[in-house]
Amino acid sequence: MDNTRNQPSAGKFLSWFNPLGRQTGGWAFILNRITALGLTLYLFLHLIVLGQLAQGPGAYDNFLALTENPFIKLGELAAVAAVILHGLNGVRIILTSFGVGVTRQKQLFYGFMAVSIVIILFFVVRMY
Amino acid sequence: MSQSTLSTYVSRPRLGETTWVWLIKIVTGPLLVLLLILHLTVNHYLGSTSSGLMTYDDVIRYYQNPIIPAIEILFLVTVVTHCLIGLRGIILDMNPSRRVLSIVTWFLSLLGLFSVVYGIWLALTIAAKGG
Amino acid sequence: MAEKWNITLRVYRKKENQTPHFDDFKMEVNPDEYVLDAVERAWAFHDRTICFRHACHHSTCGACGMRVNGREKLTCITLIRDVTHNGATLKVEPLRNFPVVSDLAVDMGSFYRKMETVGARAVMPVTEAEVENPPAKWDAEDAQFIRLSDCLECGLCISACPVTATTPEYLGPAPLAAAQDQGLKRKPELLSIVDGEDGVWRCHSAFECTAVCPSFVDPGRRIMDLRTQVVGMRLRKLLGKA
Repeated sequence: MDNTRNQPSAGKFLSWFNPLGRQTGGWAFILNRITALGLTLYLFLHLIVLGQLAQGPGAYDNFLALTENPFIKLGELAAVAAVILHGLNGVRIILTSFGVGVTRQKQLFYGFMAVSIVIILFFVVRMY
Repeated sequence: MSQSTLSTYVSRPRLGETTWVWLIKIVTGPLLVLLLILHLTVNHYLGSTSSGLMTYDDVIRYYQNPIIPAIEILFLVTVVTHCLIGLRGIILDMNPSRRVLSIVTWFLSLLGLFSVVYGIWLALTIAAKGG
Repeated sequence: MAEKWNITLRVYRKKENQTPHFDDFKMEVNPDEYVLDAVERAWAFHDRTICFRHACHHSTCGACGMRVNGREKLTCITLIRDVTHNGATLKVEPLRNFPVVSDLAVDMGSFYRKMETVGARAVMPVTEAEVENPPAKWDAEDAQFIRLSDCLECGLCISACPVTATTPEYLGPAPLAAAQDQGLKRKPELLSIVDGEDGVWRCHSAFECTAVCPSFVDPGRRIMDLRTQVVGMRLRKLLGKA
């Protein structure tokens, strides 16, 4: 009955994303992980799409027209939200990793989330 | 129950995440915050119409100032480094075998290198179009 | 007259190769008793085959850790009043991230071995302990005292940690806290143990460990401090050689 060794186990990875029985810090961990994966996807899509620039004015301006599409806009908003949430959560991790605010890491999280929401709302207004 | 010796519970030196790799990840973090603010502000506020770079011509003109491709390339290198080290960290959490980890590290390094080379090529190409 | 509540105690059951399931026990309890008392009552008066660990009943031994309504708790100091209400259900399950031996008892062997690996101290000279308001300089008489470690080795932190769920070899909050407690300055041989992928760098700052620790060890803060110590030592080694 030796499950003390590290083993690959796909099912267990879903447990990372289970918010039940978790508290503030655990939700922060989940949020950071999900935004990280989402942003990775966005990064590579963004790099590929920007290749259109090299094709010349026609291709690029055609692509820009696409960005008016409501679904694309929503996707962009999601990307911006993800960046803000991931970034501020990351700052929280850096601070606590160097001993700053460790005893108040819950308040740090709530504070950063509040700031995030304000900034995201600003972008919503600006985009729509 | 297996009688493992104490030594097997010591962290095995593997190509895992170590001090320096982690430090790079968290140094690129705040650097990214700054670069991102710069990148978003300029792309969406500067330009001829002051609502950002809205057309192909805006972008070309913007890239004529050599500082711009320099900063964008710095941004690219930073974000790709941070992203791929982070991805590798998540994969490490999945306990890949030594062989799989080695393949993953190679793949991510090559992907990173390719992305950076592609990005530099793209930035310089755009800048050259205004010449 | 003591208050009386009617609750349903829902106990996780698993024997050998049985499929795990829950058994419900309706009982009358005094809400100012502890969850451990309710479990004992179920064992004593309802089902003698319930298996669970308990010893001191006053949060010193660390034996009675369980999940109560999904959250890690030391059941001997968890008031029934704080986790349920009259007429409701009270769910008890074993700790996560340990193999279940029987019902609510888990195999803590791997955890104890890790504590041994880092040389966790059960007692330490008071001059080395983290105490509130230590004197600027300990006088000879006070300095002779020794202090018990805060850590009960109850395993709640290991259960709550999202990393341990997928990485059983991760040293874990309590062993890392025990390493920090000794300090890398005092025991530099710990550096190679904690600086590695199954050591401090595996932590993802979820702080679930600190949230559930019943004994004020604050493993999250200690892991962060240990990281600073590791970075400091590595830098010093690098610059010392250069």
